Parts: sequence; structure tokens; C-alpha cells
Amino acid sequence: MNRIAVALWNPIVAKEYRSRMRTWRSPLAMTVYILLLGGVGWAIFSSTAATARNSFNGAQAANYGQVLFLWLILFQMVLLAFITPALTAGAVSSERERQTIDLLFVTKLPAFSILWGKLLASMSFVILLLLLSVPIFSLVFLFGGIELDQVLIAFLVTSVAALTLGIIGLACSTAFKRTLPATVSAYGAAFILLAGSLLFGLLFPTDINPNATKAPAPPAVTYLSPILPLLVVGTNGPVNGYGIRNSGIFLTQGGGMACSSGPNGVQSCYSTTVPYGKGFVGQPPQPSGTTIPSGLFSGWQYWQATITMQLAISLVALILSAILLPPIRHLPWRRRPRVMA
Amino acid sequence: MITVEGLTKVYGSRTALDHVSFEVPKGEIFGFVGPNGAGKTTTLRILAALLEPTSGRALVDGADVIEHPDLIHDRLGYMPDFFGVYDQLTAGEYLDFYAACYRQPRARRKKVADDLLELVGLSDRRDQAVDTLSRGLKQRLCLARALVHDPTVLLLDEPASGLDPRARVEMREILKELQTMGKTIVISSHILPELTELCSMIGIIDQGRMRATGPVQDVIRQLTAGRRLRITVLGQKEEAVAVLKPLAAIHDVTMVNGAIEAQYDGDDAAAAAILQSLTAAGIKVSGFSQLEGGLEDAFMKATSEDI
Repeated sequence: MNRIAVALWNPIVAKEYRSRMRTWRSPLAMTVYILLLGGVGWAIFSSTAATARNSFNGAQAANYGQVLFLWLILFQMVLLAFITPALTAGAVSSERERQTIDLLFVTKLPAFSILWGKLLASMSFVILLLLLSVPIFSLVFLFGGIELDQVLIAFLVTSVAALTLGIIGLACSTAFKRTLPATVSAYGAAFILLAGSLLFGLLFPTDINPNATKAPAPPAVTYLSPILPLLVVGTNGPVNGYGIRNSGIFLTQGGGMACSSGPNGVQSCYSTTVPYGKGFVGQPPQPSGTTIPSGLFSGWQYWQATITMQLAISLVALILSAILLPPIRHLPWRRRPRVMA
Repeated sequence: MITVEGLTKVYGSRTALDHVSFEVPKGEIFGFVGPNGAGKTTTLRILAALLEPTSGRALVDGADVIEHPDLIHDRLGYMPDFFGVYDQLTAGEYLDFYAACYRQPRARRKKVADDLLELVGLSDRRDQAVDTLSRGLKQRLCLARALVHDPTVLLLDEPASGLDPRARVEMREILKELQTMGKTIVISSHILPELTELCSMIGIIDQGRMRATGPVQDVIRQLTAGRRLRITVLGQKEEAVAVLKPLAAIHDVTMVNGAIEAQYDGDDAAAAAILQSLTAAGIKVSGFSQLEGGLEDAFMKATSEDI
């Protein structure tokens, strides 16, 4: 095997697979996962079917598909936010508690390989859960209203969010000696990532700039949450009424709508009303399309911003873990005089 | 093979190791003795590149443990005093996993596992789950794990603790066999009589300071200061004591369980001269034997005094 293959595939992965799949917990977790997701799908399906019995037309069918997809993908994200930290938060700390970590440290496996092996084994299980959910998601196509690319993007956002939660859990597991505080902090981080960042948008929304020519967008912190891009992808529409604050009195002074094409071919429209009087403007520009209309990620799709930010967090957490894990840290600013071997 | 120079480890205000130095030549079995909390495990963890010393250095086969941990892990097998095993793995899989962690080729791993299981007497447990093994068997398996990459040096931290007498004897036999294979072994233990029999060199550590180190008999001789004679006579005990006390070689004379014990300086010729003095004085000597100072005496002396 070449060096990359050796680095990526290490004995920890095989050992973790073996240990994980030999217990009753894994099949049980998979069964419960499918039952919960299927249950939610069935509940939404039944509800929409009952509605359709009363009044049905072709246009509504597409809407039913969209609602079903949105519920499923959001519920799946919440389920994974509960499962992933549990998979990784004990990865390193349980080795410490079981007194097996020293036996790994004295082998030729570098610290990063240990972390990578633990991560790969945990994330493979998450991927397995995602694959198991595919048949349930395929129900959406019975109704229509959802394109394949929406499903793929939603799965990508979910996977990256799960990866981020997994790496954060791993970092907590490395930083804390015991599994309990590691798990609590991993769930805390998961809550902050999913809900806390959205809450930030409610508490500290973007003030509408009276002179702005672009529609306002929620604060960049809110893109950390996978919920926002999943909503955008699921509804295939803009974010309205969230993360934006009207801090002034707005008076309309004519104007109209202007549209421009974003980098992904999605049109973004905004109002072209002009300032009127001292600091007062007319109707603020309204977002449309699925791109971020302004701010740091202006012109990006919401899911692109979310994935970028989450991957950046994952990278930092992984580097921190790799620094924290070794029993003796060889930091560049702590060089000792060299002794020849 | 192993050189430790001025090793010091400070945890906050507590000094766990205070300028510890010793050397272990290639192929020797070095017994590391000391009371609980003396610094044995700290020293072994530093040697295994698992702990950074505050100052001083430790070299294994010329490689500094801090600068070249990769070389150290290649040359060294480590068995900690407390260790866990993984659930859901058999003994064979357990060894295969660690052999893979030491980058042993897949083709060799099965043979290595089989050979080591045979060495430690666990061939018939190959397919048994490791978490169901008894403590003694886990100790043996852990020793086999420390050998999967055929290291030249073995660090064994209390390998016989918690074992029944039979398991201890078996462990001792395994270690002797490893010595014949040319391994250099550092073994920390509380079981002193076994160390006397097993080890060629010894180091006594107490409160983080190395009290004595060197070949076992030299350390015993150095610490027990002189030799002891056990003399039994037919009556005439007072007369015998009166003859012994004025002799220049005699340090101390005591009565123990009806026999006379005399501490003296000198070699066998000095002992013969003492016997001659007694018989010349008309004392009827019925027993005359030398009492060997043991490792326990040396240990007690080393750890009870502030040398």
C-alpha cells in the first residue's frame, strides 16, 4: 500500500468495525433510526394524504412532496445530531478510561492516525445510516416537487454537518479525560452549531442598511447551522423574515425590482427604491432566489457557505485534536537539544 | 542499552523523580524496586516515551526518548502495571491488531500471533474473547502484545502483581526464556525474592531518588554492610559471647532464638579465624554458618534511611 493508503486505512478502523458490528447496539441503532425516520415519513405522508382526499389538484402534489422532503431531511439532521456526538465523544476518552490508550501510543501509529481511524470508523456508521435512509427519501419522488440535485445537496449538507459534529466530538474526547464531560461538551457544541447559530440570527439580526442596493442577509454566523441551507434547499426559495431587522421607518419613494444572475445561475432580485429624506428609505430590497444576497458570502448558495464554514471548523478541531492527543507534544517553540540516535 | 541520566520529574510542588540515574547493559534483567509512589512507574513511562521529564534524559540504544519516540517504540516493548483490553476481540485478533499497529506485514502477523501465544502458553485460548480471560492470562497476553514487533528492550511494570503463585512462577519462566533470547528487560516489582533469583542487576528507588543500583549481590553487600554468622554452642553461651566480643572483626553480637548471631567484617578467612578463636577457648561449637543478607534486608535498609 502506498503512504496515503496506509495513512487513511489503519488497523484502528478495522478493529473499530469489528468491535462495533459484533454488538447488538449497532443493529438496534440502525433499526431505531429507520423506524423513527420511517415513522415521521409515514406520519407526514398520512397527513398529506388526508388533506389530498378533501381537496386535491396536481399543483398541490408537488407541494406535498416538498413538505415531506423538508420534514424528513430536517428530522434526519436532528437524529444525526443526537447520534454522531455519541459515536465520537467517547472515542479517545474511553481508551483512556479503559487504560488502553498507552498501548496505542507505544505503537508506531502516529497520533493523527489514531484520530483518523476513530473518525473514519464513526463516520462510516453515519454514512451507513444515511444510505439506509435513501429508500425512505425515495418516497418523495412519488409526489414530485423535489429534484434529484436538491436531494443530493441536502444529503451533502447533512453529511458535512455530521462530519463536523463528529470531529467536534472527537476534539472534546481528546480534550477531556473522561467520557461524561466529553459527551456533554460534544452535545453542547452540537446544540450551538444547530440551534445556537440560528438563535444568534434572532437575537442579533442584520440591520437593514437604508442605502443598500442589495437585499439584506442574515448574519454569517447563522450559516453555521445546517438547518438554514436545508430549509433553502427544501423549499427552493429565499430566506424571508429571518435574521433581518427593520431599525427605521421606511417610506416608499417609487423604484422597482432589479434582478441579477448569481454565480450558480440563480437569479437574485432586489428593490431599487432610493433614499428619501434623512436616513429614511422606501421599501427595503427583498431577497429572492437561493443565493445569499449580501454580506461576507454574497452570491454564494447557502449550502456552500455552510459547508465551507463547517469544514473550516472541522479542520481547526482536527488540528487541535492532533496537537492535544500525543502524550508528549513536540511543539516547534519547545525544541530540546538534539541527541543523535 | 539503557542509560538514564539525572532524570527529574516534577508535578506541581511534588517531585516524583529527583535526578535518577542508572544504566542497564544489553541482555541484562534489571529489577526496579521501591515502595508504592517511589517513582518506578514514572521512570518506566518516561523510558517508554509516554511522559516528558522535567529535566535529565533517557536513552534506549543511544536514542533519546523525547527526540526519537518513533525509534524508541520500534526498539521497546512496554507492559504497563494497569491496562485494559478491548471487548469483542479474540486473543488472536488482539495480537493481530497490535502487530498491525506496529506495521507488521499482513502475511507475517498470523505467524507472529501464533508464536507469541505459544510462548506465553495461550495457544489454546487463541479464539477466546480477551475480556473473558482471567487476570493472569491477560497479563501473559499483554506480555505477548509487548513482543509483537520483536523489541530488543522490554519494560515491564509490575508484571506479576495480582497473579497467584503458580502464575508468578510461569511468568518468571517466560522472562528467563526472553533473557535467553537476548532481550534486555527492566522489571519493576514488589516481589523481592523473585527479583533476587531473576535479576542480574537492581535499582532501589525511594521517594523519587535512586538509593542504590548495580549488580544484585553488590547492592546487597553494599547495603547490608558486613556479613552475619549464626553460631550454636553446647552450653557456654556467655563464654562464647565473651570470646567473640573482643575480636577485632566482630561488630555486633546478639542472641536470637538461643543461637548467637554475630556481624563481622571480612571474607571467609575471617570467619574461619573466628571459629578458631572459639574452639581455642574450649567452646564446643555445634553449628557455625553464614547468614546471607537478602534483598529484603537491603531494600528495608535503603528505604528506611535518608542516604
